[in-house]
Amino acid sequence: MDNFEKLQTIFREVFDDESLNIKREYSAADIEDWDSLAQINLIVAIEKEFNLKFNINEISALENIGDMLDLIERKLNE
Amino acid sequence: MNKYSYDELKIGQKESFEVVVTEQMQTSFLNLSGDINPLHCNCDFAKEKGFNDKVVYGMLTSSFYSTLVGVYLPGENCLFQEAEIQFNKPVYIGDKLIVSGEVTEKQDLYKRIVVKAKITANEKTVSKAKLTLGVLN
Repeated sequence: MDNFEKLQTIFREVFDDESLNIKREYSAADIEDWDSLAQINLIVAIEKEFNLKFNINEISALENIGDMLDLIERKLNE
Repeated sequence: MNKYSYDELKIGQKESFEVVVTEQMQTSFLNLSGDINPLHCNCDFAKEKGFNDKVVYGMLTSSFYSTLVGVYLPGENCLFQEAEIQFNKPVYIGDKLIVSGEVTEKQDLYKRIVVKAKITANEKTVSKAKLTLGVLN
């Protein structure tokens, strides 16, 4: 499973929607239930899945799922 | 009331308290929720269905999870965000409940903790829960 697929699995679990297919350009505006609590749950789940630690500045700079994926891959390569 | 900060909370930290469920609590919950299901307010009906007596509302019992986090763990700094709750056995009026919880996870980025909680009555677990909450600065 590549990183995009892992991220897709996380989104499906957090939003409890097995039919959810994410795209790099999707943001909170594209997923109805993506509110502040869902955002926290997403980030916590990503930290666990990829064994990463983010800081608030990194999270604040994210504009869409593509940014999120790029950040994950950048941190994995550090 | 406790007032733990995020930094003061440790994995494995535990809190508990006891409470006896009363008829008045059951009546108050009926009036508050409007849940007139006879399992909770008609003794004969409950017995016909195989229970010993009127069954205490699961959400009434669960309301003590709010007390657990809001008063004890972490107490005043609590911002209750999520609860996953199981109702494992029936609770009856007059039961003495022991409500307990343990910090099992700390999420530093958002200053959240996960509390694994349970409620026991007569030495049996009647409810289990995973509670997620923010800790206010």
